Amino acid sequence: MKPGELKLPHLFQPGQLGRFKTRNRIKYGACCVSNYNTRDGFITEREIARMRVIARTGCGIITNQGAYPDPLGEGKAYFRQVAIFDDKFLPQFERIAADIRENGAMSIQQILHAGRYGGIDLGYCIQPSDVPQTLPHFRPPKVMTKEEIRDCIRQHAEAADRAIRAGFDGTEITSFMGYLLANFNSRFTNQRSDEYGGSIENRGRFMRELIDGIKQATPDNPLVVRLNGAELMDKWGGNTEDECFELMQQAVDAGVDMISVTVGWQEAPESSIGRDIPPGYWNYLSERAKKCFPKTLITFGNRLPDPRMADECLRDGVFDFWEVCRPLLADPELIHKAAEDRLDEARRCIGSLNCLSRLFRDLPYTCTMNPALGHEVEPEYQVTPAVVKKKIMVIGAGPAGMECAITAAKRGHEVTVFDKAARIGGNLYAYAMNDLARPDDLLSVISHYEVVAKKLGIEIRLNTEVRAKFMRSVLHQYDVCVVAAGARTDRAPYENMEGADLMLDALDVAHGRVAAGKRVVVIGGGKIGLTIAEALRKNQGAEVTVVEKDKRIAGDVKPSFKWRHASWVEELAIPCLTSSRPVRVTRDGVTVRDAKGAETFLPADTVILAADSKPAHELFHEFEWMVDELHGIGDALIPRGLEQAIQEGFRLGVRL
Amino acid sequence: MSALPAVAAWREAAACHDELFAALDPGARIGLVARGTPAAMLLWEVGSAGIEVREAPFPGFSASGADVLLAADAEALATICAAADKQLFEVLRAGIRSGAVVCYILRRRCDLEERGFDELLDALGFAFMGACR
Repeated sequence: MKPGELKLPHLFQPGQLGRFKTRNRIKYGACCVSNYNTRDGFITEREIARMRVIARTGCGIITNQGAYPDPLGEGKAYFRQVAIFDDKFLPQFERIAADIRENGAMSIQQILHAGRYGGIDLGYCIQPSDVPQTLPHFRPPKVMTKEEIRDCIRQHAEAADRAIRAGFDGTEITSFMGYLLANFNSRFTNQRSDEYGGSIENRGRFMRELIDGIKQATPDNPLVVRLNGAELMDKWGGNTEDECFELMQQAVDAGVDMISVTVGWQEAPESSIGRDIPPGYWNYLSERAKKCFPKTLITFGNRLPDPRMADECLRDGVFDFWEVCRPLLADPELIHKAAEDRLDEARRCIGSLNCLSRLFRDLPYTCTMNPALGHEVEPEYQVTPAVVKKKIMVIGAGPAGMECAITAAKRGHEVTVFDKAARIGGNLYAYAMNDLARPDDLLSVISHYEVVAKKLGIEIRLNTEVRAKFMRSVLHQYDVCVVAAGARTDRAPYENMEGADLMLDALDVAHGRVAAGKRVVVIGGGKIGLTIAEALRKNQGAEVTVVEKDKRIAGDVKPSFKWRHASWVEELAIPCLTSSRPVRVTRDGVTVRDAKGAETFLPADTVILAADSKPAHELFHEFEWMVDELHGIGDALIPRGLEQAIQEGFRLGVRL
Repeated sequence: MSALPAVAAWREAAACHDELFAALDPGARIGLVARGTPAAMLLWEVGSAGIEVREAPFPGFSASGADVLLAADAEALATICAAADKQLFEVLRAGIRSGAVVCYILRRRCDLEERGFDELLDALGFAFMGACR
C-alpha cells in the first residue's frame, strides 16, 4: 500500500456496486455538464480528452456527464449537452467507457432529463404541472400528458440500455438541482391531480416507474439515483427534508442500487455548494440516509472537498462512497496525491463556482484553479520539457507570478521570484484576510504555491522590489523577465479633487498596513471596496457607507458571487449610494454628488479609495532593452481577478 | 380568500416608483396573485399613457400574459397592502427572500432585458437569485 492509503484506509478500501467491485470508495460525480460538445449532442474530441484525464484520476467509480434521452431535446438543459437518444451517438460513448475500464474504474452513465430547466433549443420545457420558474434562464412550461410520461420513461429505459451496450457498467438518473425527476417529486412543481400528483406516494410514482423501467431494461447493471436530501425549496412550497427521505424510501423499495444524496435546486434561494458553505455542512443529510437505509449504498459529496474528511465520514458510517467532482476538476491528481501522502501539494477547489457561472452563460466550463481544464486536447496547454533551459525572473509572487513560476519550473527552467512584500500571495492574501465567506479556501491557494515552489526548488526573494536600478544590478543574469507585479489603486481620477490625499488606499487597509477608524466611507462598490466594507463592518463594528459611481454595486464580481455581496451588504446594513461620486474630502468626511447633481455630506473619520485599479505598466517601459524576453501577466496587464491571473500565469509558463 | 390590494392603491404604488417602471416597454405586465388557489390577478400593465392597473380573473400561469408574476401568501398580501407606498419594493424583496412571495418569471432574461425590466428586477432583489450556488 502507498503511504497515503495507510493514512486514509477507509477511503482506499475496496467496495462493490451491484456485481462490480471497485478499487476504492471514491465515485467521480457527473459534475453537471462540460458544454464541450456539439450543439446536436455528439461528444467531441475535446470531451474525450477531458475524460481521458478523468479516467485516470484513480476513482473507483466514474460517472460520465448527463446525456439527455429524448430526440426532441426537451430534456436538454445545456447548450452543448451530450445526447443518448439514438445509437448514432454510441461510438464516442464506447470510447469513454472503454477508457474508464482500462484505467481500472467502474463506469456509470448519467441520464439527465432537465424538466423545468430543459428545452434549451425549444420554446418550452416539460413539467408535471404548469409552474413557471423563478429564474429568468428557462423556457415556459408545458404540462406532460400521461402518454408523454410513459414515453419519457421508455426513453430513459432505452437510453440506459444504450449506455450499457456502449460498455458502461451502470446508469444513473438524477433529480439534482431541480431536474425532471425532482419536478415530479416536489410539491412545489408537481400539482397534478391524477395518479402522478397529490400525495407523496403519487408524486413518487414517476420515479418508481422510471426505476422499474430502467431495471427491466438493464437487469444486470446497477442503477444509481440522485435524490435531494434537502431541496432548499421548502420556503416556496417544496418538499421538506422529511418528505425527501420518504421519497428516498420509495427509491429503495423500488430496488435502486445506490442513492446519491444531493442538496438544493438551481432556483433555491440559499447556498448549497458555494464557498460560503463550510465543508461538511450538509453531511448530516447523508448520515440520515445511511441510518434510514442501511442496506442501500449511499454516496455523498456536496461541499465535502477534502479526502481526509471523506475518510472520517466513511469510518463513521456517514456514507459508503465519497462522491467528488469539482475538487477533481481543480486537481485531477487529488486522489493520487492523497494515496501518496502528498495532499499538501493538492490544489483545492475554492468553490468560486466559475464552472457553473460559465455554464449559465452557455459557455464551456473552466476552472479557476486548473487552467488546463477544457484544453486537454490542445498541445499548447501541456506541460512539456523545455527545449532550451532558461533563467527566468518573475516579478510578483501573487497568483499570476507563482503560477507562471511553477509551470516554468516544472518544464525544467530555473526560476527566481521577486516580491517587495514579506510573504507570497500578493493581493490575494489581503483579499483572504478580509473575506467573510471562507478565507481558508483562498489561503489554500497561497499555501499550495508555497509548498510546490519549495519542492520544485524555485528561489523566492521577498522584501525585494524590482525597479530599473535593481534590474541594472542583475543585467544579463536572466533570459526572461515576467512582470506579474499586479495593480494598485488608481488615484489619478481624483488628483484634482479637494482633499484627495486624505483618502486611504484600499490595498493598504486590506493588507493591514493602515487602520481604518470607526466611521468609514468606501469609495468604490466593486469587489475590493465591498470586501473591505463588509470586513470593517462585521469584524470591527465600524459604521460603513459605500459610494459607487455605477448604477449597481458588485459590477466586477463573478455572477455566482454577486448575490453574496448583495446579501452581506443588506444583512450588515451597509448603505450603498450608487450613481454617486466623491467631490470633496475633509477630515470630517466626504461630500458625494449623485447623478442628478444633488450633494450629500457623509461624516467619516476614514475615507478609503477602492475605485479603479491601475496596472504596473511602467515596469514594461523601464525593463525594455534590459532583458532578452519581457512578458506580462495578470493584473499587471489588465486588472481583473484570480481566475485570469492563474490562467495567464499558466499559459505563459507552458510556452516560455 | 386573501384580499389583493385595491386597484387605486396599486396605481399609486406604481406612481411612487416611477423610476422602476419608466424603462418598461408598452405591454409589459407584472401580476400579483394570492398563493395557493389564486382566483383573481392584479396587473400592472404599461399602456400608452403610462402604468395601467386592472384586476382580472386569474386564468393560470401560461394564460396570464404576465412577464413576471408575484404570488404572495395571505400574511404577505396583508403586508403588501399595508406597504403599497414607498416601502413596497422593500416588502416585496423581503417577501421573496423569506419565501412568503414567489416571484415567477414567465419570460427569458433576454426578453425581459429587451422589455426594460432591469431596474424592476433589481428592486425585487434579483441579485439574490442565481443558479447553482
